[in-house]
Amino acid sequence: MTRWLPQAYLSLVYLALYIPIAVLVVFSFNDGRTGYRWGGFSLRWYEALFNNSAMMQALWNSLWLAVSAATLSTLIGSLTALALHRYRFRGKRALRGMLFVVMMSPEIVLAISLLALFLLVGIELGYVSLLLAHVTFCLPFVVITVMARLSGFDDRLPEAARDLGATDFIMTRTVLLPVIMPALLAGWLLGFTLSLDDVVVSTFVSGPGYEILPLRIYSMVRVGLKPEVNALGTLLLVFSLLMLLMSQWILARSKR
Amino acid sequence: MMKHRRRMFRGLRQPFRTGVLVLVWGWLLALVLVPNLLVIAASFLTRDPGTFISLPVTLENYRSLMDPLYLEVFLHSLYMASVTTLVCLLIGYPFAWALSRVGKERQLLLIFLLIVPFWTNSLVRTYALKLLMATNGLINNGLMALGVIDEPMRMLYTEGAVIVGLVYLLLPFMILPLYSVFDDLRQELLLASHDLGAGRFSTFIHVVVPLTLPGILAGVMLVLLPAMGLFFVPDILGGSRNLLVGNVIKNQFLDARDWPFGAAAAILLTLAMALLLFTHRLSQRRLGEGGDL
Amino acid sequence: MKKLVLVGMTAVVLTGCSDQEDEQVLNLYNWSEYMPQEVLDRFEEETGIEVVYTTYDSNEAMYARLKLLDDSSQYDLAVPSTYYVNKMRKEDLLMEIDHSQIEGFDRLDPELVNQSFDENNAYSVPYLWGTTGLAIDTDTVDPSAVNGWADLWDEQYEGQVMLTNDMREVFHVGLSVLGYSGNTRDPQEIEEAYEKLSELMPSVRTFNSDAPRMPYLEGETDIGMIWNGEAVMGKEDMPSLEYIYPEEGVIVWLDSFVIPKNAANPEAAHQFISFVLQPEISALISENIGYATPNLAARDMLPEEVADNRASYPTSEDMENAEFQEDVGDEAMQVYNRYWEQLKTGR
Repeated sequence: MTRWLPQAYLSLVYLALYIPIAVLVVFSFNDGRTGYRWGGFSLRWYEALFNNSAMMQALWNSLWLAVSAATLSTLIGSLTALALHRYRFRGKRALRGMLFVVMMSPEIVLAISLLALFLLVGIELGYVSLLLAHVTFCLPFVVITVMARLSGFDDRLPEAARDLGATDFIMTRTVLLPVIMPALLAGWLLGFTLSLDDVVVSTFVSGPGYEILPLRIYSMVRVGLKPEVNALGTLLLVFSLLMLLMSQWILARSKR
Repeated sequence: MMKHRRRMFRGLRQPFRTGVLVLVWGWLLALVLVPNLLVIAASFLTRDPGTFISLPVTLENYRSLMDPLYLEVFLHSLYMASVTTLVCLLIGYPFAWALSRVGKERQLLLIFLLIVPFWTNSLVRTYALKLLMATNGLINNGLMALGVIDEPMRMLYTEGAVIVGLVYLLLPFMILPLYSVFDDLRQELLLASHDLGAGRFSTFIHVVVPLTLPGILAGVMLVLLPAMGLFFVPDILGGSRNLLVGNVIKNQFLDARDWPFGAAAAILLTLAMALLLFTHRLSQRRLGEGGDL
Repeated sequence: MKKLVLVGMTAVVLTGCSDQEDEQVLNLYNWSEYMPQEVLDRFEEETGIEVVYTTYDSNEAMYARLKLLDDSSQYDLAVPSTYYVNKMRKEDLLMEIDHSQIEGFDRLDPELVNQSFDENNAYSVPYLWGTTGLAIDTDTVDPSAVNGWADLWDEQYEGQVMLTNDMREVFHVGLSVLGYSGNTRDPQEIEEAYEKLSELMPSVRTFNSDAPRMPYLEGETDIGMIWNGEAVMGKEDMPSLEYIYPEEGVIVWLDSFVIPKNAANPEAAHQFISFVLQPEISALISENIGYATPNLAARDMLPEEVADNRASYPTSEDMENAEFQEDVGDEAMQVYNRYWEQLKTGR
């Protein structure tokens, strides 16, 4: 009994998690306006989506924002993780605490506080404000991911490399990077995911000059049946899976 | 020669270290600390129809928060979030345990599968739930086709629908920290407890629960607080009612333009977070660990 | 990898700045589903100006956003209801309309121009007008039993009622049932209306101002408030959806084009207004989305079944007791706001 019960339980929860996603994907190919009944296979909602230039623009904006926010937060986050791991410095505990607080803060508090800041400083609500906000909430998650990897890393390795005459640059490239590469990718992926998923922060800090998906589809989703939204969700999923495959490919190459 | 060289590198590393620290501290101060101070300041100011906020300094916003009706919103929001958290915990706890028991390779895949749904954006996922729960939605259609029910059930636009939505969106945030504590939980401890004559239940209560407490608390924090802020879930699944503090905060900032009052409501959430953080710290200290961060 | 990161970073910085600046853009901020896509397409085709169409679901949200983005000139055109035109004009949020750039203003119904909320239409040009009345699904609700707003309070409709997500309109309903004016500034009356409305709350299933017809079409609600245009659009998909003029008096509003003070492209905004004022275009809009056009030349072009549709174009009998929405001032708005927040908390 103890063998199959946990397995069955896991499967059940995964089933519940994936039913809505499956509905989304299946019904994106549904012909017929009702959205609740299957009316045959069709690509008409994809066509409608591709013809809706404002929506496509928002889709690209969202993806681009997620990619850039993930990249920037990985860069800053991994450097921070390295510093926290390697160096002793004053305020280390404060830094950890601060990151922890950011991670735990309710999104809505972050959202309104950033809105207040951007308004006060005069940063136009658009790409820049979104990027700053998204990097901020991704940062602690990247740091934690990279640190977890570094804690399993033998500190004597870089020393050994240096003793063997490697310069810092070579040491970083040949010893450090291969070790933390999976963590960097994991951190990047996490940042990408969080940014793409976000609704709360984006609602507050975006402007009409750079519209992203949550805002574009908010009223559509509230209205009800909009099969284009199904198609959109499916496209997002496909694109993200492609990103994942690409990161796996980079990882495989860096291992060689 | 060698020693000299090492020292040289140490010299090189100094600016790197300083650079990184300046960057991250600068980022956190400018985009976390300063904005939060702004919100705190705003919560003590007066609403102004023209410029959003103005002098004089006042406690009025906090006083209106304590108004029985707003207090009710907060308490109700807390109730919705608590039910959500409890459901997440009840589903997530055994889930995380089961997850930590499968083979390493499959574990990675399974964790990855927890993350995939995020790529559709939470708004789109909430919409998918609406497709399922609508009066002529898939669940009702299915059950009626099977003859289980004759009349469609009215699920959408109820508090139950909102809780389903919140649980669906937040469950992974409960599972991940729980999984990480279960993953660290050493089997030997359980065996030892067994050997010392403890029964299954006793082992669970006296060994497993205390050891997984930090994970439980981290999960509770990652679910309870965001659950009060996800205003779009009641907007879509709850018939646009103010079921969460998040709705009130959003309305104050984006509709009614009473920023000081919205800020005060946000401070209330922050205080709740501080309280939870404090409990979390205490539990960690008792267990004598540092935690992840 | 480092190179990759560098490439990524450079790209981030570059695309952050360049956003097709060469193309002319008109940022139109409008109610959801309040302009047929065809009109936007034809405008783009004719002028080469790209229309970026963003939406809101209440005057309050529109006003708050414009106020928030006041200095950044991100919107070129918005469509507030009359009482907000007045408010925004007084608060210096609007740019004066340059009537020399507007073609076809004389086609507008003389009864709808030069009103007290904006004399000589210095800041606004009427777009559409309409009414907020009752909707019922005749398959489940007996039409003869529903004559006025007060019928919403009937217990048999528990859990089936829909209200618009619009503070002023919902209070208007509460106030008219009590026999007060929907434009009252009296806190006492507003509170009474709140009390009355909170009795209705157990019956209310949802608030919707994004597309008030949808809850009826989806079978979630059977009775409640609706905008006349939504009722007309909804009837195409659902013949049993009926629009009823409540006996207490229907709510009347007029939505007008305004140009925010710091608009980046006021010429395009003027061009767009002129474009819409063409009889052919105005007729197309009224026919498509079911609201009444203030453009008299356009009304003559409407097909009979549209011009005679009582939901879109009410008879004088329908307009008995009708009340036009007016600005109530910031102080009363605060009172409304507070009770509105409380009302939406109720179960």
